[in-house]
Amino acid sequence: MADASPTPEEVALLARHAGLELPAEYLRQLVSAYGHVRRMIDRLPLERSRDDEPAHTFDPRRFVP
Amino acid sequence: MTDLHFLTIAEASRLIAARKLSPVELVDTYLERIAALDDQLQSFVTLTADRARKEARVAEAEIVAKGPRSRMHGIPYCLKDIYETAGIRTTAQSKLLADNVPARDSTCQQRLDAAGGVLLGKNATWEFAHGGPSWDVLFPPARNPWNTEHSPAGSSSGSGAAIAAGFAPATLGSDTGGSIRGPAAACGIAGLKPTYGLVSRRGVLPNCFSHDHAGPLAWTAEDVAILMQIIAGHDPEDPGSLDVPVPDFVAALTGEVKGLVIGVPWQWLEKEIPLSPATRASFDAALEVFRDLGATVRPVSLPPLLQFDDVKRTIAVVELFTIHGKDLRTRPEMFGSSLRYRIIAGGLVRAEEYMQAVRHRTVLARAMQEAMATVDVVMLPTAEPAGRLESLPPESLFTRPSFTTAFNVGGNPALSVCCGFAENGLPFSLQIAGRVLDDATVLRVGDAYEKATSWRNRRPDLVAKSTA
Repeated sequence: MADASPTPEEVALLARHAGLELPAEYLRQLVSAYGHVRRMIDRLPLERSRDDEPAHTFDPRRFVP
Repeated sequence: MTDLHFLTIAEASRLIAARKLSPVELVDTYLERIAALDDQLQSFVTLTADRARKEARVAEAEIVAKGPRSRMHGIPYCLKDIYETAGIRTTAQSKLLADNVPARDSTCQQRLDAAGGVLLGKNATWEFAHGGPSWDVLFPPARNPWNTEHSPAGSSSGSGAAIAAGFAPATLGSDTGGSIRGPAAACGIAGLKPTYGLVSRRGVLPNCFSHDHAGPLAWTAEDVAILMQIIAGHDPEDPGSLDVPVPDFVAALTGEVKGLVIGVPWQWLEKEIPLSPATRASFDAALEVFRDLGATVRPVSLPPLLQFDDVKRTIAVVELFTIHGKDLRTRPEMFGSSLRYRIIAGGLVRAEEYMQAVRHRTVLARAMQEAMATVDVVMLPTAEPAGRLESLPPESLFTRPSFTTAFNVGGNPALSVCCGFAENGLPFSLQIAGRVLDDATVLRVGDAYEKATSWRNRRPDLVAKSTA
């Protein structure tokens, strides 16, 4: 499980990997926001069987002209 | 007779059909009222006055010649400014779309236009229906007509304010986590988040693909049913659209709720987000109305609210980043600070984490439908009465629990109606959620409640500011 309180340096690295070159002000916002997002994700139950199909099963009929 | 600007769709359409009311007169009434009062509410970001007068004249001629072709023929309406309108600026309240003029109407606009409705203009929203209230975006936020120092909630904020103020009898909003029901609650009107896929989102600027719903707001549940009759139905251009028959929503409004089984998720209301005493009293009183009408009230068990919020918000932050990633990378300063804060972390979430959230949505949706199968509807307040209009802490989207989001996760229909007024004059709200594709029952129950109570007789008391 990831750290619920990532350091600013860790967030800056993740941001660069995501293609975000942010000024300092926005980077501070990202550090704060990402902390909240991490806490949400870390609360998600993760124990699932291998064949547990996600909700958005692809239905090819929707794309027939 | 009721002031023209406070006529419901049902009332106005009857008068128009009987040739006792002119669509031109009705449109002029609304345009005059908007001109006199909307500086206090800022509920419209674009007015289409000339077009509305022209459409009203055409509608009048058609009705005189052949009679009305729908309950919306000659009736004015407005649209949240995320519904694309051909030739009319559609901004989503964002500097990024300040000059965005779509070439094509959204499906909902096409259907309202085909029904003979008269477009008055576009309503204020939160930026891209997600970030707000904001003072650093294209337009200022809308205000609550019951008290202009208070919020109309969001994100269909201008839509809710315009209906309550008597600026229009009909509008469409969108609801990804509660953005139709929240403003409906704050403004004391009726607003329906339909079953997921029942109303097309084609041409509606997205918030979060997997949870977005388009839907109506109006003064009464009956008017919401009239609007649903126009806008519901399969659209092959919306990949999430359901190809199912559209019921007769208006015919379903029998006023009958005898034998109805109402489930109340008490664990949400007493342990997870305890209600204020005043909101609890208003909710208890609403349940008593239903008991008197012959309904039964029993507890219903649902998964914890926090799980619904965590799943939806995790999915949303990623989908929002997917939509806005290019602009966040190249011109982040164009976003309002509220929206930027709420979406920028989506680029850092791993694909595996997104997929786990999508998988857990399945678990929650299944639990929701199993619980719904044991009752006819679930009831709870939509929200506490509206707070003051002020900047919210940006992290509030991630930390503030909601009574509405669970029904977006499940895809269930959910209606908000007014169930009284607090001591400060702001409305209380009752949320009625139903089984998937049983929107007609939800509307029937809301309509029965409105007709059994007197709350629809009270209106905000807006007065034009003196120009002397």
